[in-house]
Amino acid sequence: MTHGSSEQNDVPEKPVIITINGRPCRAGKGETVLAVAIREGIPVPHLCHEESLAPYGACRLCLVEAGKPGKTEMTTACTLKAADGLEVITDTPQIVKHRSILFELYLAEAPKSEVIKEMAARYGVTKTRFLKKMETDDPLSEKCVLCGLCVRVCNEIMGAGAINFINRGPYTVVNTPFLEPSADCYGCGACVKVCPTHAVVMEEAGSERVMRSWSGTRVPLAACSCCGMYYAPRELAARTLAALDPHLDQDLAGLCPACRGKRIAEREILARQGGAGNHA
Amino acid sequence: MDSHVLDTLIARYEAEEGRLLGILSEIQEQEGYIPHDLLLMLSEKLGIRLSRLYSLVTFYSFFSLQPIGEHVITVCMGTACHVKGAEAVLAALEQHLGIEAGATQDGKFSVTTKDNQFTVTIARCFGACSIAPVLSVDGNLFGYATPENLPAILAGYGWREHAD
Ligand code: SF4
Ligand code: FES
Ligand code: FES
Repeated sequence: MTHGSSEQNDVPEKPVIITINGRPCRAGKGETVLAVAIREGIPVPHLCHEESLAPYGACRLCLVEAGKPGKTEMTTACTLKAADGLEVITDTPQIVKHRSILFELYLAEAPKSEVIKEMAARYGVTKTRFLKKMETDDPLSEKCVLCGLCVRVCNEIMGAGAINFINRGPYTVVNTPFLEPSADCYGCGACVKVCPTHAVVMEEAGSERVMRSWSGTRVPLAACSCCGMYYAPRELAARTLAALDPHLDQDLAGLCPACRGKRIAEREILARQGGAGNHA
Repeated sequence: MDSHVLDTLIARYEAEEGRLLGILSEIQEQEGYIPHDLLLMLSEKLGIRLSRLYSLVTFYSFFSLQPIGEHVITVCMGTACHVKGAEAVLAALEQHLGIEAGATQDGKFSVTTKDNQFTVTIARCFGACSIAPVLSVDGNLFGYATPENLPAILAGYGWREHAD
């Protein structure tokens, strides 16, 4: 990313400057206002934003007031592209009001989520007037806000498509089809990583990874051929190795990252000592 | 429906537009529901993830994942019927048919009796408010329904009061 060569096609342009809460900020070409705010350390609450995915605008928490002086509108910062001269205010009284109601709704939707509670508390919202969702045995532990990030990362990035939205309206949940263990799941854990409310539960059980939230889907793990530690889902590891170009040497392929590092270092040392003439 | 029939059905949907919903509704109409194994087969034939198909099928109330009973009873829970006591009618119906109380309330999931004789769903206003509360059995409307006259209506469709 930082190599100049990757940007060689861009004619040097006048930098885009936007102001957020009166502070001038430099923005990259095509960057969203939310991305700029995050980089500048300006707090804008957000749940459904994920850098690797296209803007979605689902959670509505990142509302800001934006425009040219005298002609502004409320819009979501994650879908708003930075344009030169754009003025953005992150917390007008109106926004705070809207956001507070959203927090109340999220407190009802995901009553067990500490993340939501903390976010809401920063706006002084600690109670909700809405009926709290109560569901014993919720596979997502009453923490899911249906932002869709796990579904999108599973489908759009990993290409696994193991999970999706199920039902409609107030009965909507995310899970595997028929609420049965999924044959499409790689057990990559991307859903766990992107979930803003830490709702997705995954655990390791010996030679398997168990996707607790996804109907208990079990995925076999690959064991390191040197130390025996289980280090990655078997199929995912095989897929990744097959996609590598150039291929990894045969004697490195079955190793966990730690052992692989060790083996490479050993080789390097041997080569320096002029030992084994193992040069490719 | 076997694999071959499904192939010919799929072949009739050339255009991407509306393809999935078209195929799924034909399955629903021909089978009376969307069988588990047909959905799996469809997913393989079209190269579309099962999770996506399942998402579609559970989104639209037109589709059902369970076989529909011999007779379909729809109880109106519209405003007029509600005011005239539809809730008591529904509760009595659930009781008569041995359906778990409240199981049909949310309107998304229809409930079918174990013997596959009756499927119960709810609706919002049949446009027959003047004879509220209203229910329909296999498309026939019954007005002024009460918990008391319910057994007589059901008896017309082969229902018998259990001895217990
Ligand atoms: S599980 Fe997490 S990532 Fe998935 S929809 Fe719910 S809140 Fe979003
Ligand atoms: S982060 Fe902008 S709407 Fe969710
Ligand atoms: S409300 Fe039941 S028919 Fe109109």
